[in-house]
Amino acid sequence: MKPNTLKYAGVVGLMLGMVGCASGPGGGSIYVPAGSSSSRDEAPEPPQTSGSAEEPRVERKSEQPEEPVREPERSAPSYQDEGDALSPAAKSLIQRADTLMAAGDTQAAVAQLERAQRIAPRSAQVYFKLSEAYVALDQLGSAEQFTLKGLSLAGSDVSLQRSGWMLLADIRRARGNVAGANQAEERAGAL
Amino acid sequence: MACLTDAPIRYNPAMKKSAAPRRSPKKNNRKGKSARQPWFWRLFFRVFFIGVVLLAGWMVYLDAVVTSRFEGRRFEVPSRVYARPLELYDGASVSSGALQRELELSGYRAGDGSAAGTYRRNGGHFEISTRGFLFTDGLEPRRRLSLNIYADRVQDFRVLSGDNSPIVRLEPAQIGGIYPAHKEDRVLVQLEDVPVLFTDTLLAVEDRNFHDHYGIAPLSIARAMLANIQAGRIVQGGSTLTQQLVKNFFLTREQTLLRKGNEALMSLLLELHYEKDDILETYLNEVYLGQAGTRAIHGFGLASQFYFGESIRDIEPHQVALLVGMVKGPSYYNPRRRTEQALSRRNLVIDVMAETGLIGEQEAARARAQPLDVTDRASYSENRYPAYIDLVRRHLARDYKQEDLQSDGLRIFTTLDPAIQYAAEFSVKDMLGRMEGGSDTTLESALVVTSRDSGEVLALVGGRDPQYAGFNRALDARRPIGSLIKPFTYLTALQQPERYNLITPVEDKGFSLVFDDGRRWEPKNYDGEARGLVPLHEALSHSYNFPAVRVGLDVGIDAVKSTLQGFGVTSGISEYPSMLLGSVAMTPVTVAQIYQGLATSGFNTPLRTIRQVTDAEGEALSRYSLKVDQVADPAAVHLVQYVMQETMQEGTGRSAYRTVPRELTLAGKTGTTDDGRDSWFAGFSGDLLAVSWVGRDDNGPTSLTGATGALPVWSRFMSQVPQHGFSPVVPDGVEYHWVNAAEGALTDEHCENARLVPFITGSEPDAEVSCGGNLERRIRGWFEGLFQ
Repeated sequence: MKPNTLKYAGVVGLMLGMVGCASGPGGGSIYVPAGSSSSRDEAPEPPQTSGSAEEPRVERKSEQPEEPVREPERSAPSYQDEGDALSPAAKSLIQRADTLMAAGDTQAAVAQLERAQRIAPRSAQVYFKLSEAYVALDQLGSAEQFTLKGLSLAGSDVSLQRSGWMLLADIRRARGNVAGANQAEERAGAL
Repeated sequence: MACLTDAPIRYNPAMKKSAAPRRSPKKNNRKGKSARQPWFWRLFFRVFFIGVVLLAGWMVYLDAVVTSRFEGRRFEVPSRVYARPLELYDGASVSSGALQRELELSGYRAGDGSAAGTYRRNGGHFEISTRGFLFTDGLEPRRRLSLNIYADRVQDFRVLSGDNSPIVRLEPAQIGGIYPAHKEDRVLVQLEDVPVLFTDTLLAVEDRNFHDHYGIAPLSIARAMLANIQAGRIVQGGSTLTQQLVKNFFLTREQTLLRKGNEALMSLLLELHYEKDDILETYLNEVYLGQAGTRAIHGFGLASQFYFGESIRDIEPHQVALLVGMVKGPSYYNPRRRTEQALSRRNLVIDVMAETGLIGEQEAARARAQPLDVTDRASYSENRYPAYIDLVRRHLARDYKQEDLQSDGLRIFTTLDPAIQYAAEFSVKDMLGRMEGGSDTTLESALVVTSRDSGEVLALVGGRDPQYAGFNRALDARRPIGSLIKPFTYLTALQQPERYNLITPVEDKGFSLVFDDGRRWEPKNYDGEARGLVPLHEALSHSYNFPAVRVGLDVGIDAVKSTLQGFGVTSGISEYPSMLLGSVAMTPVTVAQIYQGLATSGFNTPLRTIRQVTDAEGEALSRYSLKVDQVADPAAVHLVQYVMQETMQEGTGRSAYRTVPRELTLAGKTGTTDDGRDSWFAGFSGDLLAVSWVGRDDNGPTSLTGATGALPVWSRFMSQVPQHGFSPVVPDGVEYHWVNAAEGALTDEHCENARLVPFITGSEPDAEVSCGGNLERRIRGWFEGLFQ
């Protein structure tokens, strides 16, 4: 197990070194509720609606929407090609986790990584780091799942993809899933 | 007992009246003294002997009571339940109002922001001095922080003093407790944790000779009695600390002679067996110091937190004086209700502190000049979030016994987000009131909010009255889920990309099923219409019933059932075709669980309310870590997510955007059952997943649909919380193509009917159509052959 662990650590460390400039940390813009302004002194109360346009229409019987009162501006389902980059705060937590891992306190490292996951939940790196920690805890099932989760957020970032598939191949091999490992390796190779 | 010792009773002036008549028969006896002497002495010794034996027996009994109770003195300490700690860092989403509420909930006081436990706010600028907190993963030391909140985000976050860090956790707010049946609450302290000034003041006021007496102080009692006689009422108590402890610990509150006698004897016995320090420490933890609802505040450890929001280690002389002063009458000197009485009592204690030299005159003057300094309200109330605590208890019950939770002083760190809970409670209350209008119908509701990627339950509303600790609809109302099932049906189909994609034409046309036993089932569309062939994405986003049943029957009810089980349904699922229209009943929490997988690209993430449980000293007992489990192909889930976004933009969920601005991209699904008995909405943003239900407790009909009942509650909630929109990362193996859905063909971006649709690679149509649509006939022929 030990050499493998070191190998993953190298892979993930490499990845983390590369990230940081892909997209804005924290997933870009945030929705700000109306009525909560930083200049107000009192705690903002939830917005009150008085306009009739916002009244729920209780009388309607159909679940299908009625014809629109006003044609909404056209918007299409949203998607993005890559996950979020790590914010400095999340990075600092990952560094703490690294220190704890190096000191052998993997359980505490997991706690720091979960903090990082909560503030950067759409960042593939966090999940790869969790995977690394679970490898150290010899919980390879969890490690594999976190790698898959990370891969689902790697998007079009080829280096993240490659690192993820290589990590997955190693974990699957360690679990005795040779076919799965080979498959993952092929995916990495095809990138 | 009363006949055993004449002398003390004669000394007791209070007993004069009752003692007087007794003496006259004795005088009469003296008259025949010489004649009856042998007989009298025999009787006297016999009675005396019996008395001594009885007293000895009584002492043995009391001794057993004292030692067994005191030896095994294990205070039942309730478990404490904490909200999630707020993380502050550049970019953290929190509004100024939410931050202020959070600080108040954690017992912070508005002040100069430099004393620990205070904050200073100027518009969006905050300065906060944290108290520090020992988390199991490390100490979060005391720090002084400065930050600005602009557009609901933390900016310019700086640590002014203390360990520098780009991210800092505030102390978690205590949101409740799990109490023993007698409702006594306390935070145990050890003698060495309590400042010497505190114990010295306590002894100076309550029992100056504590270290010298043997449990009772006859001189003090005499002095007190004298004072009481002079005043004509009880003005002074002569009880030692030991007696006070015995009274609270072993005896009832009634004031009888027998009890007084027992108190004295037991005090002597207690002093005989135990060290002064043991007795003092037990007193510090036992003393009653106030009431919060049905919860009794015991011990100075809790009282300090309860009144000042501070650890007893950190309180200042004027606070010491107030707490010590309150021993005399916690409700008469209640500093929150009777500030005048409390203030004068406190200053009296400060006088004593100065007289006895515990503090200098200057310090005393400074202390007298201080306000009472109590927090506005108790830092938490026991019942603020009963529905949420209910779920926490159920999760705890998997690993802990109720009696341990009530007595071992465990610390339970939950995932509750007070700001989100606040918004959730408000939304339910507000919207239900509007929906009922003037009608007689009484609507009820439930709302479950989780963190989309971690499965942490952030808020839970079990009914329209959030303070009511009764029926918890979020956990216990099992209702048919209606169309909420449809995404799972279509997901099952889309996992077969060789057969289904988002523009596969499906048939919106009525039909009837005839069962073997001759019964017929004829599903209906809500609007009673049938539209013929429609592309799959439209059938789902508009929640048409016929195609949902047709596709479900095509892929097989078993397959749909197994998809649901993979996403976390553990209870039985009917195999009748009506399950395809959601006849299967679930609780709102279960719905939140299965939608978690849809929201996170096919990863089942078990819902959690607890991150960690520690013992009273902070040692971790159990951790409940994040778990993910891939249960569906992320590519197929991505297609369903696309349609759930379309539902919000064009389909049954679009009225949400009357409340929520369009820049907050959302995905969701409505659900309605027959006669509007259940109105459901389940959906998510980039950060949050929420499930709302509206209906009647008696399961009666309403005029609501998912879009008019549950959706307004849901969107009202979403509109109040700063958050990221939903914008999923395109998974491996998915490509977006411009298509003309009606034609089932690739087309050009600029064509009028062009729609950018995701396909699992290889499942996109081969046919191409230009803006003119000249391939129409060929395509029509292709898809009419599909559903014969």
